[in-house]
Amino acid sequence: MRWDWSLLAPEYLLAGWAALMALLGLWGRLRAYWLGYVAAAGALASAATSLIWLGDRTAFGDLLAVDHYTTFFRVTFGLIAASVCLISAGYVERFLRHHGEYYAILVVSVIGATYMAAAQELLSAYIALELLSFSLYVLASYAKMDLRSNEGGLKYMLLGAFSSALFLYGLGLIYAVTKTTHYQGIAEALAGDLGGTKGLALLGLSLIVVGLGFKVSAVPFHMWAPDAYEGAPLPVTAFISAISKAAGFALFLKLMVQAFLPLHDDWSPLLASLATVTMLLGNLVAVHQRNIKRLLAYSSIGQVGYLLAGIAALSPETANAASAVLLHLAGYVISNLAAFACVTVYYNWTGKEDIYEYRGLAERAPFVALALSISLFSLAGMPLFAGFVTKFVLFQAIAEADLLWLAAVAVFASFVSLYYYLMVMRQMYLVEPETRERLGVAWPEYGLVAVLVVAIFVVGLGPQPLFNAAQEAASLVYQGAATFAALSP
Amino acid sequence: MIPVQHFLLLGALLFSLGVYGVLSRRNAVLIILSVELMLQAVNINLVAFAVYLAPDEFVGLIFALFVIAVAAAEVGLALAIALRLFRNRTTANVDEVDSLRW
Amino acid sequence: MVAELFQQYVGVVVATVAGFVLVGAALFANRLLAPRQATRAKGLTYECGMLPIGRGRLQIHFRYYLFAILFLVFDIEAVFLFPWALSFLDVGAMAFYEMLLFIIALGFGLYYAWRKGVLQWR
Repeated sequence: MRWDWSLLAPEYLLAGWAALMALLGLWGRLRAYWLGYVAAAGALASAATSLIWLGDRTAFGDLLAVDHYTTFFRVTFGLIAASVCLISAGYVERFLRHHGEYYAILVVSVIGATYMAAAQELLSAYIALELLSFSLYVLASYAKMDLRSNEGGLKYMLLGAFSSALFLYGLGLIYAVTKTTHYQGIAEALAGDLGGTKGLALLGLSLIVVGLGFKVSAVPFHMWAPDAYEGAPLPVTAFISAISKAAGFALFLKLMVQAFLPLHDDWSPLLASLATVTMLLGNLVAVHQRNIKRLLAYSSIGQVGYLLAGIAALSPETANAASAVLLHLAGYVISNLAAFACVTVYYNWTGKEDIYEYRGLAERAPFVALALSISLFSLAGMPLFAGFVTKFVLFQAIAEADLLWLAAVAVFASFVSLYYYLMVMRQMYLVEPETRERLGVAWPEYGLVAVLVVAIFVVGLGPQPLFNAAQEAASLVYQGAATFAALSP
Repeated sequence: MIPVQHFLLLGALLFSLGVYGVLSRRNAVLIILSVELMLQAVNINLVAFAVYLAPDEFVGLIFALFVIAVAAAEVGLALAIALRLFRNRTTANVDEVDSLRW
Repeated sequence: MVAELFQQYVGVVVATVAGFVLVGAALFANRLLAPRQATRAKGLTYECGMLPIGRGRLQIHFRYYLFAILFLVFDIEAVFLFPWALSFLDVGAMAFYEMLLFIIALGFGLYYAWRKGVLQWR
């Protein structure tokens, strides 16, 4: 066992940066607006530091893997946090109090998210999960005088605590059956003869799926998501929708591949049915939404459905589905952040978040309207944009895994989603505006939006580099599971 | 020595009580209490497994220790948010806060 | 197996039922035998002594909960200190520095709370 502490340098950096943000907040000399840029610099620095281990395959004492998979997510989370910090800069200064603490919590949550992806062992995974969740609870209820924020935060917190208790009970049962908490040890034990304890293992597994289902807001357990999304301050909504999904699926994927692949035939139908209801309900309910935050909340539930379908399509033979899930996750995160950046810019100008308030935006702020349309098209999966490529690869992987009906449901759900995205665009482009007065120009935010939009096109037109990265990350997860393949019949 | 099933049964009962509490109570503080009950059930399970099934390893015991600490942090956080809501709204009943509706 | 498990508890069940019956019988007998007269003096909190002032239900000040939460967190984090204290000599210097770091992190939290004015009774 190697206890090489230097492997965790990016997280030390983040922790130090969080303390710095808190102290800067206390000190109070730096304008709140610049705190966002300082925090973003920290997140970017951590993502850059993680590139040192590019191509390495080591682990911090059996607990946290530092390999391509971890690096992939370290970079993803670092970029998510940096973008959210930049989106927050203007918003937080105007609408929230205790700015330093806000960024400190935001930066700390990245540590939790990273360790969720890096964990090779249940206890580390659990603590990382709680670190991320707790940070998000606080952030969701951060507007402390706003009743909606309190309410959304409380619901998020209560259901989150409930779900992590279920998750934990499942972990306990798995520990009882396999007598270990390491993913590989679990896989070895499950591949062997379970005898009478198989029922217990399945119960534990389903509790784990339910617990993680709550965290990523899969459908029967999605009740908290729309309320938390609507109540939370806007940048926080962007953050929750990006990082809680990405980190949740990072953990979900690794757990399923490295620990529970021997039970694949038992959980695959369960996840396929979860995915079906999630895709259908998420997208159909989104059609009725009036509030843009709630619309994006339900649309992200729909996206979770596609990702769950990808997890259901995992197979012991190939890593195709796993890399497709990673790819779609990255595409979804980019498009979603771009959409939220536009929504935040508009909110900073007008303080409005209903869809009909977007009428005539194309005349008042053409750039924002165009960028929002591009990100919504990408979320819907139109050709040229990132969403098309990632969805195509994902659906193909699902179809190849003999789940053709699931791929068909996913395609149908995508068409439904196109409808409500187009409704937003209709408001922006076809409906007459209230006034023709031009809205100002927010240069820093525009820069971020431009970068994200360019990223959408880069992934949409030349997805090869991202695809390669996702494939290498996924294949590493499978190599981790290879020890089991030798054991299973 | 008491057989391990006794502990499992106790854990399962406690856990079910907690689940029932979460689903049936309307007061936020009582829901938090019920979640705590569930976490303690998990702890009983973990300690029992550690002692009976893998006596030379301490994984289960360490796990229980961490669960205790996390549970405490959870209570602190949940109480703080509930207090905020109570301050702004003077109620801690979950079904009375309904400004967010689909 | 479950039936067998319950069989061992027959004694406990009998004792529990007997206990309930005994208490119930005593309460019932009390109800039958004791005279009942509702007077104002009987409804008071203390039948003798000072007259109570104000409502019986006291609302605890909001500030109190902040202290309670802070105390709770710091109190429970001490749970890590006990196993550490028992074993840090065997684990080596690393364990000492790790715990030092942990306590510094906790201390930073306390410092932050203090500077934010949480510890002030306003």
